[in-house]
Amino acid sequence: MPALAQIHPLNTASSPQHDLIRIRGLDKTYAGGSVHALSNINLDIKDGEFVCVVGPSGCGKSTLLRILAGLDDYDTGTAALDGKTISGPSRDVGVVFQAANLLPWLTVRENIALPLRVGGKQVGQAEDIDRLLDVAGLKDFGERFPYELSGGMQQRAGICRALVRSPRVLLMDEPFGALDALTRERMNLELQRIWQASRKTVLLITHSISEAIFLADRVVVMSARPGRVIRELEVPIPRPRSNDTIISHPAYPALAKEIRGLLNASGDE
Amino acid sequence: MSQAQTTIIADSVSIERAATKPKAKAKDGKGVNGTAITLVGLVVLFGGWSLAVKYLEVPSYILPTPLAVWKALWSGIAVSPSSPLGYYLPLWGTLKNAAIGLFLGSALGLTLGSLMAESRLIEKLIMPYAFALQSLPKVAIAPLIVIWFGFGDGSKIAISALLAFFPMLINSFTGLRAVEPERIDLMRSLSASRFETYRIVKLPNAAPFIFAGLDMAVVYALLGTIVAEFLGAQQGMGVVITQAQAVTDVAGVFAALVILGAMGILLHAIVRGLEKKIVHWGERGRK
Repeated sequence: MPALAQIHPLNTASSPQHDLIRIRGLDKTYAGGSVHALSNINLDIKDGEFVCVVGPSGCGKSTLLRILAGLDDYDTGTAALDGKTISGPSRDVGVVFQAANLLPWLTVRENIALPLRVGGKQVGQAEDIDRLLDVAGLKDFGERFPYELSGGMQQRAGICRALVRSPRVLLMDEPFGALDALTRERMNLELQRIWQASRKTVLLITHSISEAIFLADRVVVMSARPGRVIRELEVPIPRPRSNDTIISHPAYPALAKEIRGLLNASGDE
Repeated sequence: MSQAQTTIIADSVSIERAATKPKAKAKDGKGVNGTAITLVGLVVLFGGWSLAVKYLEVPSYILPTPLAVWKALWSGIAVSPSSPLGYYLPLWGTLKNAAIGLFLGSALGLTLGSLMAESRLIEKLIMPYAFALQSLPKVAIAPLIVIWFGFGDGSKIAISALLAFFPMLINSFTGLRAVEPERIDLMRSLSASRFETYRIVKLPNAAPFIFAGLDMAVVYALLGTIVAEFLGAQQGMGVVITQAQAVTDVAGVFAALVILGAMGILLHAIVRGLEKKIVHWGERGRK
């Protein structure tokens, strides 16, 4: 296993206090204005911060992620990445999709290398694919095809693919939602390890309160449609966290209770 | 185009898609029992055929015995490949023209199908004609093509290309449109160009559809060549059949049909083999 801190040496230099993502008064409607997806979203994410967004189904959290990824547009307000208004997909953003979304006709290595093959001339740094495979525990699976891998391994490859252009921001849309509970816990550990090594800025969307608390520096709770940010909660639990120590931390039950209360009050389940 | 027309065309596309979607592989009697049943079936068929011809006193110019067909077949096979009496020269002529027609027709079908899938404008421009021509029995155009291209190889190639064109057009169009939106999102998030998305995602994604189209196109191309040869040709399996028919050599006609049947099975097997090798992910590529 290589020294993980070496993977993304450039990003560690930037100031952790700087707001990398800044969202102000963001509004989004669908279907000619009849579906109000997002309403007056204000959110700042610091460079190197890990933010989890939780909210009821259909609260527009995926829409928020798609807007930040440059895949959807928005009606009013602003969304900016490092001071620049987001107007389309960017090299600075890596997206991890639900259910891995690997291409079955490419090997794992080819899937991970895909972002380096497309999208015009390559500026900026590229990760070493062997090192990424190694970090993700896929060292011996580079020449396999996705369907030969377990769901957890596929999603690890999906994360490698999002990291290969060495983006500053990682956007993850319920990346472990399709996995069983045990695999999911292990993936959370792995993701924490990868994040601690790379110090990317991460926005992760999840349904799971325990996953949000485990991973996040800050949990953002959204309301049912139209999606609004109803509370932001710092997670004061020191890292590295483990699945055993996190639930025994004194702050955990209160946090979980508060998030659950907010979600219930906003009409979920 | 009116809304109603658009709906009709959309419906026909989905019907075509349902009809040509690669089916889940059924176990087609591969076990010992399956083989035994097939063999018993063959024996019963040929035995019944022989007995029926013999005891019902069917004249040989109506239905020859299996033995007579076998003799005719053997006389065409057990000769030098360059003999004008053997099947080799006419078969080569037919296969060559069918192959050229297949190549031209499917290349054109794939190209136009791709353009239609990529551009709504081209789709709206071409789709009405495609469906009008599709519903026309295309072998009926064959005499016209013979007028245009003459009795040489040209008309054979043109008709087989025409017949091979349609399944490739419709299947490649349908397959290229059937791509999962998540895969398009992935390519968009990477700022991939349109051609990169086509080449890396849409084309492989459509491969099962394209192979299903190719499977049909192979048979149609062979059919097109034979029909053109019926209308007039110097050589080819179609000529072998019409010549045998002219002298009421029904066993000779049967023998030629056996050869064509074997060719059809062989070509089908080649396409399936290619598909298995290229589309190695199979059904696992779909959600």
